[in-house]
Amino acid sequence: MGAVWVYAEVTPEGPQAAALELLTKARTLGADVAAVALGPGASEAVAELGAHGATTVYANDEPVFADQPGRAAAHTLHALIGQHRPALILFASTYDARDVAGRLQALTGSTLMANATDVEGPTRARTEIFGGTKVVDVDLAGPEPRLVLVRPRSFVAEPSGGTATTVPVEVVIPGGATASVIERHAEAASGPKLEEANVVIAGGRGLGGPEPFAMLQELATAIGGAAVGASRAAVDAGWVPYSFQIGQTGKTVKPEIYIAAGISGALQHVVGMKGAKRIVAINKDADAPILRIADIAVIGDLFQIVPALTEEVRKRATS
Amino acid sequence: MSAVALVAILATAVVVFVQRASPRWALIRDARPTARTDQAGVRARRELTQVLGQRKLFQKALPGAMHAFIFWGFLVLFPTIVEAMLAIVNPDWTLPIVGDTTWFAFLVDLFATMVAIGVGIAFYIRKVQRPDRFRGSHMDEADRILLTILSIVGTLLLWNAAQIALGTFAHPSAAPIADALSKLLGTGQPTETLERVFVWAHVLIVLAFLTYLPKSKHMHIITAAPNVYFAKNGPGGYLAPERIDLEGPEEDMRFGVGTAKDLSKKQLLDLFSCTECGRCQEVCPAWNTGKPLSPKLLIMDLRDHVAGIDPAAMAAGTVELQPLVPNAVTDEVVWDCVTCGACVRECPVDIEHVDAIVDLRRNLVMAESRFPTEAGTMLRGVEGPNQNPWGQPAATRTEWIGEIPVRVLQPGEQAPEYLFWVGCAGAFDERARQTTQSVARLLNAAGIEWAVLGPRERCTGDPARRMGHEYLFQMLAEQNVATFAEAGVQKIVATCAHCFNTLANEYPDYGAKLEVVHHTELLSHLIAGKRLLTTPAASGSVTYHDACYLGRHNGNYDAPRDLLGASGLTTTEMERARERSFCCGAGGARMWMEEGGDARINDTRFAEAAGTGAETVAVACPYCFVMLDDAAKAAGSEMRVADVATLLAEATLGEPGT
Amino acid sequence: MNITVLAKYVPNPTGTPELGPDNLLVRTGGDGALDPGDEYGLELALQLVEASGGEVTVVSMGPDEAIAGVQRALAMGAHKGVLITDPALRGADALVTARVLAAAIARQPADLVIAGAESTDGYTGTVPVTMAELLGMASVTAVRRLEVDADGFRIERQTESGYDVLRAPVPTLVTVTAGATEPRYPSLKGIMAAKAKPMERLTAADLGVEDLDASQSVAIVTDAPPKAGGEIVSGEDAIGRIADLLAEAKVI
Repeated sequence: MGAVWVYAEVTPEGPQAAALELLTKARTLGADVAAVALGPGASEAVAELGAHGATTVYANDEPVFADQPGRAAAHTLHALIGQHRPALILFASTYDARDVAGRLQALTGSTLMANATDVEGPTRARTEIFGGTKVVDVDLAGPEPRLVLVRPRSFVAEPSGGTATTVPVEVVIPGGATASVIERHAEAASGPKLEEANVVIAGGRGLGGPEPFAMLQELATAIGGAAVGASRAAVDAGWVPYSFQIGQTGKTVKPEIYIAAGISGALQHVVGMKGAKRIVAINKDADAPILRIADIAVIGDLFQIVPALTEEVRKRATS
Repeated sequence: MSAVALVAILATAVVVFVQRASPRWALIRDARPTARTDQAGVRARRELTQVLGQRKLFQKALPGAMHAFIFWGFLVLFPTIVEAMLAIVNPDWTLPIVGDTTWFAFLVDLFATMVAIGVGIAFYIRKVQRPDRFRGSHMDEADRILLTILSIVGTLLLWNAAQIALGTFAHPSAAPIADALSKLLGTGQPTETLERVFVWAHVLIVLAFLTYLPKSKHMHIITAAPNVYFAKNGPGGYLAPERIDLEGPEEDMRFGVGTAKDLSKKQLLDLFSCTECGRCQEVCPAWNTGKPLSPKLLIMDLRDHVAGIDPAAMAAGTVELQPLVPNAVTDEVVWDCVTCGACVRECPVDIEHVDAIVDLRRNLVMAESRFPTEAGTMLRGVEGPNQNPWGQPAATRTEWIGEIPVRVLQPGEQAPEYLFWVGCAGAFDERARQTTQSVARLLNAAGIEWAVLGPRERCTGDPARRMGHEYLFQMLAEQNVATFAEAGVQKIVATCAHCFNTLANEYPDYGAKLEVVHHTELLSHLIAGKRLLTTPAASGSVTYHDACYLGRHNGNYDAPRDLLGASGLTTTEMERARERSFCCGAGGARMWMEEGGDARINDTRFAEAAGTGAETVAVACPYCFVMLDDAAKAAGSEMRVADVATLLAEATLGEPGT
Repeated sequence: MNITVLAKYVPNPTGTPELGPDNLLVRTGGDGALDPGDEYGLELALQLVEASGGEVTVVSMGPDEAIAGVQRALAMGAHKGVLITDPALRGADALVTARVLAAAIARQPADLVIAGAESTDGYTGTVPVTMAELLGMASVTAVRRLEVDADGFRIERQTESGYDVLRAPVPTLVTVTAGATEPRYPSLKGIMAAKAKPMERLTAADLGVEDLDASQSVAIVTDAPPKAGGEIVSGEDAIGRIADLLAEAKVI
């Protein structure tokens, strides 16, 4: 069997956690594991990628990979594939890696499986469908390499203690039009839009006033990529503006995790957040309907739980 | 000489009247017909009670008396106009038959005085009491009209007084007021002149008034009676269908009311019948909570807009008509309405504000797709695969059943005696589910044969229809009616007042032949027939909130109260109860829109319920339940909100599961 | 500016999805809908042509029923519809789908191609960029804002930490995130007008795409172990459990 590659996303701050997870998995699939790291931070990431199982790291630090999302990396990767003929390439399911894998598929004509939760080898991978109620094993065929996009956190990263050889890569960019990044903006202060946030923390009547929303905002900031929303009751009471409202007559959100604090769970609210993958509800009323649809139902005082949770999240982030 | 002058003046007055009235008449003549000629008996009876009997005016005692004095006065005094004209031609002429009778002299004296008293009351109301219902009305115009009326009866009394002073009045003792006035006058030449001045003044003022009428709000003296005649018969909650055939020719398509030419005859007559009395405004939940909508101002604004249109140009199509929204009334006004019908019920001349608003909405939604954005989710939910306003999975319609023995009617099966129409709220809303479960337990206890449609039930289309999406409503109605026909459904019991109204009053237009009852009616009937044995085990006080679509729109006030009594509860009434109940704020698809204004309607109503001091506010509609319960929570109140069926089930059957 | 919008007809997004005996998602049955995720991009397209002229063409691939999705897009205001429907395309994978759609777009080049960020039923999210590569077009994914100017497009792309601004030439392909626009509700006039709009039906053969074999096939479908029902926790335990959940979902 040919080599197993991991497309490792890197930044000057280091490799993405998903790259280390995928390398850990790749080690179990074959002896010949390589990582491809393209863009600023690639060279510095080699040691850590090696320590997680890559014996070879194809690296290039050119900013063009970050500035022209998808295209430059796909063509460079395509050229590498032509030289080394790997059997399988694993990608993390992120916007950037999906762009690379999608374009690469057009160049190689090989199969591309998305949303994998496990990989058995170059010919079979596993995914979950219908909200995780069914597990599907998929046979992969067609020309190598097979391309698999794996959901982050599908594996736990474990160091192998190995080291990697760095192989410099030549940048391949075809002629023709491309889109380029001209500005970057971090939005930590205002946070992502409600509809797009991975985590939504929503407050309801149980907050009792506008001030406690600052407490929710603090938790959102600690988590990062989280947005604060509200139930209609809190909006009607004038505690937060209408743009916060989640529900029938407000926004519809589908985050990975939805934390409802002091929200009873009227139907009008539930229809706006039922698409959340996981629901955490904090309410002091044990009869609140929201507790019945929650994955984690916390019966307790949100004024104690939310600050303690913020503390815990900060602790874990720094550890 | 006098005769020639009188005839000339009379002819001029009539010509001017006709000229001034003709544009409005032409508008009505050319307008879309309104099919309102059936049940002539009902219509005639309404003329007797409501026009002659002044029934709706007496809904307010003092203003009612004021108006009745003036109205009845003019009915009686009408012949005196002819009498005065005859007297102008020849002072010796009088009316045939009645002219020389004592009783007629008495009636004229009495009613002329009553009219004057009526005018006095009117000024007292307007200048001293100054009720808020007049805000936005033309107060100066009203003053002019009242003073004119006063001068008409004043000149009449003075004319009679002068005749008495001159000794030419046949029965002075039968006219005590004129007789008393006569003491102020002498017997000589000046009085003879005055007698001529008064009679001329009387006739001239009347004729001047006639020419003034057509473009004034006082035109109601001509338009009100026909407007009452052509009013909607039957339940107020009924909306006439507007059939939409997307396959038909486009020029035949009409989407509600967009411009003046889309208004029906009755709708135009409504506009020209409004006296700006503001009784509608006074009871409007939107206006009372600080929103721009006032039914009175809506009608006035539409009237002023329409009055500015040249009917000939409109008929010839040579004038570009402006859309009524936002040119005559704003979008906000159109969307503020809860369709509670309080305005229509109050209106003494039977103006149909709600139907006009729905017609305006129809145009905005179907032609323009212009409506409060947040309501789009409801429309998508209703038309989407799950066909309910919340977009909840249809398969979860039976989730409320739990352990309760319930028959879910399968495709191909025939319905038992009753189909229990659960409704979307009753199936999906946590609170309304309590009601559904209570009714199910009570029906089982009564040994009724019943079933539910389960996932095959879909929205009746009420929220879509009240929002103006007639086409979506029509599709749902046709689909539901087909389901009923397939399952042989004959009797339906519904817990939702909106579903009830739609199924009972509106589905017959789509071919349904059903007997539809509200759960309070059925339960009340079962108790009366001893099929449901109740235990008045509950104690405490309760106040009952009348749902608009159950009470005012369908006349069911007693059944819910009877059930509360059967539960052993003591009912305390709110000030605004029964016909005058104040909406919860959810009707007219307002359930699916954000609310502006100074206060929320549900909070306002809940405060009134809490003010009774009762422990529980009982409801009989899931919309009221959700709205009042939200308000109770917002107020941090301990007061319980529960459906009458739940209270009855608890008293009779105990807590669920026992 | 002429814009092509890709639209997918998906099974009832709130219904219970089913697999057929062949382990393929049941895509028929009539209760499907235009993918709600596609409406944001369609709205963007409509706003752009309303501002500066041009036409919006909607391209969809799916079973016969998928015509309802195209009609919905036409009712919202798109000018032309193309439905690629072919029994041979049943079970098409991402690559085949991308080839077919790319061929359809190549027939009628557009200044801008818009797709949803990912479909509501499959969540693959790679088909648009694969098409861009096949067509030799620039692409930007996860777009939350797009403006047209003299040099092409100024685009805001959602990132994990905020957003990037990109400059893209004409033509470009973009995928639009949920919430980027407020999709309109079609008026009845729009629905009626949709019936008269040009609607083209094509097969894979019409587009000259021959290799339709999927390179993926479902081997085994098993029921996942039932998800632990909601757990009720209190006090101290709660903090740890919520933090674990956040960690599991890779959000911290």
